[in-house]
Amino acid sequence: MAKYLLKRLLLAVLVLFVVIFVAFFLIRLVPGDPVENMMGSSATDEQIEAAREAMGYNKPIIVQFGIYLKNALTGDLGNSIFYRQSCLKLIANRFGATVQLCIGTMVVALLISIPLGIVAGVKKGTAADVAATFVSILGNALSPVWVGLVLILFFGVQLRWLPAQGYGSIKHLILPALTAGLTFSSYVLRQLRSSLFSTLQEDYITATYARGVRRMKVYRKYALKNAILPVITVIGVGIAQALAGSAVVEVVFGWPGIGSLLVDAMGSRDYPLVQACIIVSTMIFVVANILVDIAYTIADPRTRIAE
Amino acid sequence: MSRQELLRRMRKNKFFVIGSVMLVILLFFIFIGPLLVPFEATSVDLVSRLTPPQWFASNEDGSPSHILGTDGVGQDILVRLMDGGKISLMIGIVSVIIPMIFGTIMGMMAGYYGGKVDLIIMRINEVMLSMPQMMMAIAIMAVLGANVYNLILVQCLLGWMSYCRIIRGNVLSLRNSEFIKASTLLGSGGGRILFREILPNCVTPIIINASQQIGQIILTEASLSFLGCGVPPTIPTWGLMISEGRSYITYAPWTVIAPGLALMFTVLTFSSLGDGIRDVLDPKNKD
Amino acid sequence: MEPLLAIQDLHAEYRTGRSVAHALNGVTLSIMPGEAFGLVGETGAGKTTTALCTMRLMPRDVGRITKGSVRFDGQTIVDMSKAKKRLVGKPKVPGLSEAKLTDLRGKEIAMIFQNPLTSLNPVYTIKDQIGLVYNAHEHLSKKDTRDKVAEILKTVGILPERMDDYPHQFSGGMRQRVGIAAAMALNPKLLIADEPTTALDVTIQAQILELMKKLQHQNASSLLMITHNLGIIAELCQRVAVMYAGTIVEMGAVRDVFTNPAHPYTVGLLGAIPSLTTKSDRLSYIPGNVVNSSMIPSGCPFHPRCAHCTEQCRKEQPPVTAVSAGHYAACWKGGHIDG
Repeated sequence: MAKYLLKRLLLAVLVLFVVIFVAFFLIRLVPGDPVENMMGSSATDEQIEAAREAMGYNKPIIVQFGIYLKNALTGDLGNSIFYRQSCLKLIANRFGATVQLCIGTMVVALLISIPLGIVAGVKKGTAADVAATFVSILGNALSPVWVGLVLILFFGVQLRWLPAQGYGSIKHLILPALTAGLTFSSYVLRQLRSSLFSTLQEDYITATYARGVRRMKVYRKYALKNAILPVITVIGVGIAQALAGSAVVEVVFGWPGIGSLLVDAMGSRDYPLVQACIIVSTMIFVVANILVDIAYTIADPRTRIAE
Repeated sequence: MSRQELLRRMRKNKFFVIGSVMLVILLFFIFIGPLLVPFEATSVDLVSRLTPPQWFASNEDGSPSHILGTDGVGQDILVRLMDGGKISLMIGIVSVIIPMIFGTIMGMMAGYYGGKVDLIIMRINEVMLSMPQMMMAIAIMAVLGANVYNLILVQCLLGWMSYCRIIRGNVLSLRNSEFIKASTLLGSGGGRILFREILPNCVTPIIINASQQIGQIILTEASLSFLGCGVPPTIPTWGLMISEGRSYITYAPWTVIAPGLALMFTVLTFSSLGDGIRDVLDPKNKD
Repeated sequence: MEPLLAIQDLHAEYRTGRSVAHALNGVTLSIMPGEAFGLVGETGAGKTTTALCTMRLMPRDVGRITKGSVRFDGQTIVDMSKAKKRLVGKPKVPGLSEAKLTDLRGKEIAMIFQNPLTSLNPVYTIKDQIGLVYNAHEHLSKKDTRDKVAEILKTVGILPERMDDYPHQFSGGMRQRVGIAAAMALNPKLLIADEPTTALDVTIQAQILELMKKLQHQNASSLLMITHNLGIIAELCQRVAVMYAGTIVEMGAVRDVFTNPAHPYTVGLLGAIPSLTTKSDRLSYIPGNVVNSSMIPSGCPFHPRCAHCTEQCRKEQPPVTAVSAGHYAACWKGGHIDG
């Protein structure tokens, strides 16, 4: 268990290194002079030269990378050209909104998928199972962009129940959370349904009945705990992804999270900010995944107490 | 499995049958459809811009000739859907095939050579899987520029890992099997064993994986195009149509709804077909 | 004396998709209080299904009882002759209510399962799994449950300190002891043991059998011992029934059946045991394969594999006839085979 976690940590370090490497060299793939690209067309020649000097672009590329790596590891991801602020600070300001959206997404997804998944797994072939299959197929087949726009059209424009754009209150959160939650619930639903179904076929469930436990209690207590274990992994990956930024939903609803920051940075050719966004986003993703692994290890006694 | 047995299984599997019928409808719509409609995809007609479809409009604003209405520059949405479908489908299929080939080769190498080759390939694999896919895709597209080739490149970069893992696992178990040992003894070289003996045994899982991914890849394309980092605005994919329609959603929702439904239909087609293919090819499935 | 368990003409089937497997085709047997009864047969003969039907525990969506009855200790667990046709929905199983049946399971009838590796829930401690028997039937406090669990663990030879461990921390033999502890927790009147030693090492098998024998005697429980190992039957049981293709082909006192087998199938089973005392060059075996329960042959189900098969055997199912007092066989030859 400790060995496994150590392995995961080493992988995380490797990923961090790779993403910084990618972020650094990616910008050099942009056609044209990187500094000119960054400064935009309004900059004068002197300004560009001064920036070249300041950013160290006249040094050899390996040295540049060394400096970038050192800065990145000490938490300096450069300044945004567009906002003229520290990139890390900009991202930190947006992180709250992303966390909010992540929580909203999970609440919606679990509210849909857990009850439906349980009923579908327990009663295969019934109306509830058909409904569950329908939700999981639809959640998988609909483009989140389109779902978002249709929800805006219906609840925001036609009924005027909920704000279509923006951030701030719970009301603002509902539509984005529904959009992201619907897609995600299809994954959870699918996993829960199949794992509950196969758990109920297990010998130990028959044995539990044979010991005189009521059917509902077997479902609620003895089968669910087993069936939920693989679901934890799916939920964990979903949380990690949502925390790393859900660009599509954030852009559709004008939600000021990390994803929309990246898209904005891309639109304004703010390359230092693009770099910073993918580095931070990857780090969040990796850390969240490790936390999920730990949670899983604790939840399953077979891994918690290895012989 | 004999050819007859395969055909029998295909006919009996309802996912496969439904998926095939949907695919035929889709292909008919995309390729034959444009011949039956009297508009050009690119014909701009600003006079009739945002004409609602007749069944949508309550008054006589609607035009009987534009069945799905027109978009912001007066192009017929039905024709654009047919045209955009071609691009979406093409990108989807190419974006499935290239990572499939690349991932298969990587997986075969990792499984067959083992040792350092395996270590390096699987480490790269793990690192790629440890990155948030959508964010990486946006960043890479942002830097490389929005065009079809880069879009396919990005899908390939982010899509090969699952093939690699599946194939590697298969190769590892096959490598120790009796018939591979036998052909090594008979003097077959590494390359020959890989392609003649091992690859045919991996075809089924590759096809199953590919058929299940194609729908998701088309959706990703739509999302990236919507964010402005997919195809350039001159190419009318469904994702881009949704993106364009977004500005008119309050008063011309048909510009958004039609391409979204087309997208859904396509994804459902491929996911149904994918489930069908999985059931048909799975030797454990008896019915 | 009234039998504790009486199974009468029991039929059961499994349906998956369009295929139907006829698992039981008329099983009749009875077990007296305190008696140890053996049920032998090859894999797929319907032994486990018989056990599951006794507790009405067949897998809900695929398995169902189609005919016959099971009575236990004056209660009707199931009686299909009282079944009412229903136009809509699944037919209700006629017999004890689900709630009363739940009270019965684990308390009056308990079961030991074949594979101790899969019959214990991996995410609950063994205290929880044995304790749930007490919880379900006696509503004890936490502390009392712990005490009871400690006591029963001692009886089966596990240190009580280990009760907070999980199944994966035990060996196969120890896990089966846990299974026995859970089954014997409330001194059931009937203990069903479904091949309790098949998944264990030979050396462990003897210990487990010894333990079961001891507990059965102490509690004066009845035992339904399901196995394909004739040695275990000889060791543990007073009476035995031989199953083939979902029917009982021979039944009687262990001594009678084993020394004077009347059905060619029993003869074959006995001939397939390696013996140290009699000298023979090779083991005899029964030709052919276990019958496929979705395609049961006409007439006597054993006829395709039987060396004494006649035209009558192919066409008509043989009736159960008495070979001697308390010894029955379902064979047209009625015990007069010369093999």
